[in-house]
Amino acid sequence: MKLEIEKLSKHFSGNQHPAVDNITFLMPAHEILSFVGPSGCGKTTTLRLIAGLERPDQGIIRLDRYIISDAHTFVPPEKRNIGMVFQDHALFPHLSVFNNIAFGLRGFSKAEKKDRVSELLKLVGVEPLAKRFPHVLSGGERQRVALARALAPEPVLLLMDEPFSSLDAHLRLEVREQIRNILKVSQSTVIFVTHDQEEALFMGDRLVVFNQGKIEQIGFPETIFHDSGTRFVAAFMGESDFVSGKSNPTGFQTELGLLEQQNDYSTGTDVEIAIRADDIDFQVNNQGNGKIINRFFRGAFNFYRVELDSGEIVHVYKLHTEIYHPGERVMTYFNAGHPLKIFAR
Amino acid sequence: MLRTEALRSNRRRQNAPIPKIAFLAGWVALLAIIPVIYILIRALAGDTELWQRIIQTRLIKLLSNTMLLVLTVTAGTTLLGVSMAWLTERTDVPGRKIFRWLLALPLAIPPYIGAIVHLALLRPRGGLLSQWMEGINLPSIHLPNPTGFWGAAFVLIIFSFPYVFLLSGAAFRSENASYYESARMLGRTPWQTFWQVTIPAIRPGITAGALLVSLDILSEYGTVALLRFETFSSAIFVQLAGRYDRSAASILSGVLILLALIILYGEFRTQGRAQFTQIGSHWRPATLIHLGKQRKWGFLALFFTVLVSFIIPMGLLLFWSTQGILDNQTFTGMQIGSRGLASFIFNSVWSSGLAAFLAVLFSIPIAIYVVRHPGKVSRLFSRLSQVGYAIPGVVVALSLVMLVNRFLPFLYATPLVVVMAYVVRYIPQAVRSSESAMRQLSPNLEEASRLLKRNAIQTFIQVNLPLILPGLLTGSALVFLSSLKELPATLLLRPAGYETLAVRVWIWSEEGFYFQAAPAALLLVFISIIPLYFLLRREAIFKQ
Repeated sequence: MKLEIEKLSKHFSGNQHPAVDNITFLMPAHEILSFVGPSGCGKTTTLRLIAGLERPDQGIIRLDRYIISDAHTFVPPEKRNIGMVFQDHALFPHLSVFNNIAFGLRGFSKAEKKDRVSELLKLVGVEPLAKRFPHVLSGGERQRVALARALAPEPVLLLMDEPFSSLDAHLRLEVREQIRNILKVSQSTVIFVTHDQEEALFMGDRLVVFNQGKIEQIGFPETIFHDSGTRFVAAFMGESDFVSGKSNPTGFQTELGLLEQQNDYSTGTDVEIAIRADDIDFQVNNQGNGKIINRFFRGAFNFYRVELDSGEIVHVYKLHTEIYHPGERVMTYFNAGHPLKIFAR
Repeated sequence: MLRTEALRSNRRRQNAPIPKIAFLAGWVALLAIIPVIYILIRALAGDTELWQRIIQTRLIKLLSNTMLLVLTVTAGTTLLGVSMAWLTERTDVPGRKIFRWLLALPLAIPPYIGAIVHLALLRPRGGLLSQWMEGINLPSIHLPNPTGFWGAAFVLIIFSFPYVFLLSGAAFRSENASYYESARMLGRTPWQTFWQVTIPAIRPGITAGALLVSLDILSEYGTVALLRFETFSSAIFVQLAGRYDRSAASILSGVLILLALIILYGEFRTQGRAQFTQIGSHWRPATLIHLGKQRKWGFLALFFTVLVSFIIPMGLLLFWSTQGILDNQTFTGMQIGSRGLASFIFNSVWSSGLAAFLAVLFSIPIAIYVVRHPGKVSRLFSRLSQVGYAIPGVVVALSLVMLVNRFLPFLYATPLVVVMAYVVRYIPQAVRSSESAMRQLSPNLEEASRLLKRNAIQTFIQVNLPLILPGLLTGSALVFLSSLKELPATLLLRPAGYETLAVRVWIWSEEGFYFQAAPAALLLVFISIIPLYFLLRREAIFKQ
């Protein structure tokens, strides 16, 4: 195991709740691990505790089996051999791109420095920029230089704190693909922090979902998405709506009709069913169970917001040619083709 | 993003050890307040009988004189400074770009030099103005008495208004056009907008400027002494230099410091609020007001102010200087023993330069501590180190005389005591520049450096220092400029034979040798213009 976190906690004075609350996880070498969660969930604090930029209140951090932080030990950040890419990139404005990347290469001879820096410039594809200064670089270039600088000293672990959040939306998609390739080519061990679910799913070999200082779920992207462990994960990662129901021997009775699905709950238990917009469908029907509130045109499809008669809200995808109007009554029904996630109320 | 930033700056390390920088900062804060504490103790320990005598005979008069002068000058500078800033920043008055510079230049003229010129021009008998009027046979009009309260207030307003002018100019400049436009769209007339939107927005800037001016007036010695209007500063000077009565001087100083501390406290409280006049990324300059037919009046107001505060004093100094240099006897009179102007320049420059270097050096730990470890203790240290604003030059001199005599006798009667006085008095300016330089630096840069294998000291030298250097230079330019112009502490603390430009200008003028004093005064102004130019170039209103 590369990184082992055991019962790690951190409470900032003046805050009501701990920022990081007793978390434990393991991480193997060469993995990209995404930390994801809403802002203030503790993901960035955990990252800073691993980096040594904050001191934990309690818990143990092991890196390559060495303890770098526990009740008696606190290895300062400069001795941990951990690299970090900051949200604002934190390139030194007084140093050229070359010198920024060479900054971490202590004890290298001049020739070795030159070799290593050009190797990295090539890896991230910014060779012509070596002599430029950070303020003339574009957002994407800065991003790649920051990555090169962090990778230069060959850190045993690389931390990335929302590295794409300062980029424009269209640039972000392009850059993150490049960066993921670079990280895989260099076989880096990476923790990647983001509040964007889609980005977390894209970047991570595995995901850690944070909420209120605790870990909600750890798993592969597909598992997190399709088999959310908690209601929070289903809501945050999958943009699910929730419809209430009652379990019975054949499935669950809901406002949308009977959901036939294998059922471990005892009969009569109140449950919530997590529903995504592609799991259900509707037809216009005056005797229906709800009405259309809004239509959002998204180009390839229409996205409908439907209010059920109970007041619960669900969303439904339709083709871009299928246009209905707000106020029309509709009959909404299950159309998933795979089991849905059920949570006890 | 914003939220996590806010959270991070509020974080206080709970179980981390006290940072080492706190101890360094603590030493600086301690050194900065020792003179004040010492004077207050001496004042309180003063003889009860002496206290009673002073309260009965002196205190009321001095208090009312001092407060009257402070209030009048502060009101006058605010009015003059804000109107000048409004004219140059918000109207289409002709020549406003050049006027921005000309209106800031009086900062290079110490008020006592202004007072010398004022007196030489307006003296009832033998004044240049009355001589000139007799010369062309004008019926003798009654000239106003140049001395006393109105004379002192006039001179101090004329030479202090640029502080308020610069601060309110920056505030006018930073106000976004969209505020003005929103107010107009919400149904306000331009006049209502000015009072309801613009003035409230620039008020923190004006208040800060006005309070700093009032602290300056509290400590002003040369002008009030020359124009014979007695305030605390001049009374203390007389006790010290004339009567050698340190007990009475301590009591007067104690009262003066209390007065100054109250004003300084007010200044600290406005500081935080001065923040909301910052130039954001979507800033657009406000549209100019077209004065139309009133343009010539605006121009005349600007011109008259520059004429009185810069052109006349400089012209007269130049005239006297040429006269003095052409006249052989006066010229040889500029030598004191074997030392001449060159030695005065040298002394002025090295003592002010050393003070600037030391003040900035000492300000660094305070700046790092308060910016990177925000909290009650660090803020207290920062404020304590700025107490120098509230210690007038005469009081610094008094406390250093007593402290050095007692604890560092080997320093007594060396120019180093003068340098110490400059550092104590002007370190607040260095602390503020260093703090604002540190504040502009993202903590991520330091953290990045730590993760790239530099310890805290290496990080400071390789990352912080190169980046805050411009801010440190600003601080040192401020301290250098102030030290160069400093008069009372230099007069009281200098060893025999140690002459600076300021000292010589003062002594010669007091004796009435204007021709002799003028070249030194002119040199003092010219040397002051160098750091002043450097400082003004960094001001927002001289950019773009």
